[in-house]
Amino acid sequence: MQGTKVVRPFPFFRAGARASQPQLAKPILVLEDVYKFFRPDQPTLRGVNLKVERGEFAFITGPSGAGKSTLLKLLYRELMVDEGRVLFCGRDIGRLTDKSIPFLRRNLGIVFQDFRIIDHWTVFENIAVALEILSMPQRLIRSRVAEALERVGLNGRGDEQTSNLSGGEKQRVAVARAIVPEPALILADEPTGNLDPHLAIDILTLFEEINSTGTTVLFATHDHSLISKRDHRLISIDEGRVVEARQGLKDWPGSGIHTLVG
Amino acid sequence: MEVKSAMTRARRGLREERRLYIVAVSSLAVAFLCLGATLLGVTNLDAAADRWGQSGRITLFLKDDADPQDIAQLRVVLEGLSDVREVTHVTPEQAKASFLEEADVGADLSSLPKEVFPASLEVSLVNGVTRERSESIATRLGQFRAVSDVESYRSWFQKLDDLLWGARMLAAGLALLVMFCVIAVIGNTIRLAVARRRQEIEVMKLCGATNGFVRGPFVLEGMFQGFASALLAVLALLVGYLALHESVDSTLAALTGSRVVFLGVWTWLLLLIGGALIGAIGSALSVRRYLAV
Repeated sequence: MQGTKVVRPFPFFRAGARASQPQLAKPILVLEDVYKFFRPDQPTLRGVNLKVERGEFAFITGPSGAGKSTLLKLLYRELMVDEGRVLFCGRDIGRLTDKSIPFLRRNLGIVFQDFRIIDHWTVFENIAVALEILSMPQRLIRSRVAEALERVGLNGRGDEQTSNLSGGEKQRVAVARAIVPEPALILADEPTGNLDPHLAIDILTLFEEINSTGTTVLFATHDHSLISKRDHRLISIDEGRVVEARQGLKDWPGSGIHTLVG
Repeated sequence: MEVKSAMTRARRGLREERRLYIVAVSSLAVAFLCLGATLLGVTNLDAAADRWGQSGRITLFLKDDADPQDIAQLRVVLEGLSDVREVTHVTPEQAKASFLEEADVGADLSSLPKEVFPASLEVSLVNGVTRERSESIATRLGQFRAVSDVESYRSWFQKLDDLLWGARMLAAGLALLVMFCVIAVIGNTIRLAVARRRQEIEVMKLCGATNGFVRGPFVLEGMFQGFASALLAVLALLVGYLALHESVDSTLAALTGSRVVFLGVWTWLLLLIGGALIGAIGSALSVRRYLAV
């Protein structure tokens, strides 16, 4: 069915800026009865229903293989839903044509566990690439990258080769690349997975700071220590089903996190 | 802005993959050199044919017992023709002397009897007389009583035409071969570059790069490789031409009456633009095939 209807590219819809009232009233992300199959008899996601409001910070958690990464991949259209709908800003991204996918991704900032930064590029080049794609003038790119570097605590280190950075610094570069185009939604897929606990808290704090400016953040992790320290919304996935906790586990009465995330 | 960004990224790609590209450009330069050398041959054959065609000549060999009055009458007729520039009567003695002067066979030929060299009328035609017109004049002159034989150099022109046709076919065949070589070599080079830059491509795709944005620099890199190869070949040909043309010139002038010429501006411009264009096509085909974005 894909490609039967041409969907116009998404307009830029930056965090906290110029959103119309009807747009603001809509949740930024809605998943309706979403199924994803890799094997016909065993769906990885089964009937996922989820609503994420604009400006929210939510943890997505669950054991390895539960479907966290699959869920995120559906959001940035690395994978297609097999059943159900995924609405981003009210639009069904399952119906986007291949040509429109880049325009969807320009509204998203994506951060991975393995950083995915180019080691032989400088810090500046790694971040600037997200703006070059938008055909921004160099002058603006320079100022926006400098601003992003400041936000992630790497002020003045744009000329350094990324291969010389530590793991935590590399992840900060990845975060800077994700936030520099001012996306509406940040998808973080185990961003602290390769970092020690102290750095993990630093990176989580960084995401929270980004969230405080109005950007919606979905933070996938199976690190219980991180989840238990914060009060954010928890979306737990187990065997492809969503078990949702409206509030974080810090003050969850009478139950430990293990009851939810296994 | 898109083009500028693509050029910046292509420059970075060329810098990062310079070893790979140097090997590719060197191999392609050899292919372009072969094509360029053939084109140089065609250009010079063309120039010689052009020169011979324009300086038309007919030789009327006279009978041994030709009446001097008939010869004088023939000269009058010839000089009256608007196509004729000059008529020279060459006696057997003059023909022998001229032969002995020009022949370089390393043997004493002065003992040859003068009867071996028939008297002739050398007819020079004005510039611009077509080959067909020259043939028609020669046929008519052959009917005069004093004339035993007419040489209009038709067989020479025919041979030259055949040679030119063959050379053009060879050049066309080589051009096709070079085109396939360029597409194959650049295609493979770009495929390697794509494989080596897989992570960059993935990052760009995740940041929302369009197909054009990702493919653009690779196409430019292919274009550059094609252009650089053709330029290297043209420069090598030029160096060879400058080094050799003086020594070759005198021999060629003696043989054909024309001098060595280099490729015309349009020919080498065509080589450069063609190289760039084929490079871009090879690269675009490869990127389309190996870069699923």
